[in-house]
Amino acid sequence: MPSSGQSTEAELRDIARSAGVSAWVHTERLGGPEGDVGLAASAPVAIASLYKLPLALVWADLVQAEILTESDRMLLAADRRVAGPTGVALLLDDVEMSQRDVVRQMLAVSDNAGGDAIFGLIGRDRIRRHLSAIGLPPDMVRQASAGETGAMMRDTGSESWSAAQRLLADPDRVTDTSQYDPAFASSASAADVTALLRMLWLRAGSGHAIIRDAMAQQAWRHRIGSGFPHDDVTVFGKTGTLGTLRHEAAVVQYPHEYPIAVAVLTRSVRPERHQPRVDAAIGEIARLAVRPLRMATS
Amino acid sequence: MDILRHLRFFTAVADARHFGDAARDLGMTQPPLSQGVRRLEERLGVRLFDRDARGVRITAAGQSLLPSARDLLDRESAFVTSAAEFSVPNQLRLGVAGDLDDLIPELIAAVAVGGPAVAPVVDGSVQLVDLLRDGALDVVVLRHPGAVDGLWAGEVLVVPTRVVPAIESSLRDAAPIAVAPRHHQPPAHDQLVDELLRLGHSGHVIEAADAVQRGALAAAGSAVRLVPVPTEVGDSDSPPLRLRIAMPLPAGRRPEVDYGDAAATLGRVLRRHRVASHAE
Repeated sequence: MPSSGQSTEAELRDIARSAGVSAWVHTERLGGPEGDVGLAASAPVAIASLYKLPLALVWADLVQAEILTESDRMLLAADRRVAGPTGVALLLDDVEMSQRDVVRQMLAVSDNAGGDAIFGLIGRDRIRRHLSAIGLPPDMVRQASAGETGAMMRDTGSESWSAAQRLLADPDRVTDTSQYDPAFASSASAADVTALLRMLWLRAGSGHAIIRDAMAQQAWRHRIGSGFPHDDVTVFGKTGTLGTLRHEAAVVQYPHEYPIAVAVLTRSVRPERHQPRVDAAIGEIARLAVRPLRMATS
Repeated sequence: MDILRHLRFFTAVADARHFGDAARDLGMTQPPLSQGVRRLEERLGVRLFDRDARGVRITAAGQSLLPSARDLLDRESAFVTSAAEFSVPNQLRLGVAGDLDDLIPELIAAVAVGGPAVAPVVDGSVQLVDLLRDGALDVVVLRHPGAVDGLWAGEVLVVPTRVVPAIESSLRDAAPIAVAPRHHQPPAHDQLVDELLRLGHSGHVIEAADAVQRGALAAAGSAVRLVPVPTEVGDSDSPPLRLRIAMPLPAGRRPEVDYGDAAATLGRVLRRHRVASHAE
């Protein structure tokens, strides 16, 4: 595959260094002549909540195959949910929703309860078999949010999601968790993530359209979106955050140009939860790695 | 046959035109030298010297071979010299982040006294980590947080700091802070600025190349310094200096260096306030 020159790669490395992150990056034009840009693009990385993207793809494929029905209702019972920072995981009572609304919430606000519900609906083995069958690494979905939160609490000796977060964010110590390790967490390379985005953009099922729409409605635009401060440029994004891991997968769509798939995976050396500098660096990295690939559709 | 050794015999005799003098130049006795020259002649199948009652004269063949013999010996010594540039001396190569300011001499002395010979390097943390990765340093005290992937790094050492010159009011109203250049460890620099803002300080910092420059700024009254004070509790509202001790992973370590001992000594110097407060 044609790659852009060393200079872009060196610039990406400089931005990462200045922001205090390790970065794994891959961008690829979806359509037109092949073109991509990468930085450590084939190394496996723990992807945190990005697992919700391959999970959603499997769901949409099963809807298209008429194995699942997108309007079927699901009960997300309060006593069977693990608390999380957004969406239904933040609520107190039982919630009943259609499958497609669960998927929309899981993507637009990264609802952990939704991730667990869809994971449980399809089943771990079937998810992993399906990913293998379509040419993606099955380890992209090793577990869902409940498994991830449980491992994080065990590793840090914490009694809740928020207590574990506080420990991981303590600037006075270095706290490790198995969920930083691609061998134990849901994991993928930056190139795997763009391959997944390509599939999501090529498929014509109604479930796939729901996923793309939910990504365009993502509640925040502080990472990749910050690199494209233009009202007419659509960023279809999904973030993943866990401790020092800060990721986003996105498709950037300029009007009248080929869409470009972007994966920026980072691990910060600073442990604090709020790091606008790193979020902005992710936007800068994305802009830099997208720029050489921009091309008008003919 | 050690050709280079025998070529040294050859050139020595050619220069001295006398076996006894040549042997003295080489710091050896004459019989092994004469024998050595004869063995070289046999090995080459060429007569290098004519020996008669008047002494020793170089042959025409010897004369024409002499320049390339000298050339080989010159290149041997050039080779040895350039190899020396890569050789690792048998001492502890210790890197210390410049941010430690006045603490640096004490820290280095603690390791050197009664310990191994120390070759110290003071630089920014990023630069020290690069040197450590290149195998040019053995142990490094660097500012945290910063990238340490591919290295072993110990726990975070939190060293209290004091504002110098002392201020009466809180840090909130203090002058800009004189700090090490951001590129010495960008994430740690950014973390300090964020902490200053959190404390109500303006967040203004002046990047100064080294402790001398920071001291000069403080003396001029245009900035204050945050000085690490490992033996004290520190000013309650001044952000601590966070450090880590780093070294190569076990597979990349030199057998002649006692890494654990060096790290323990450094840790003791930097962790004193905590030991003191535990004792209370």
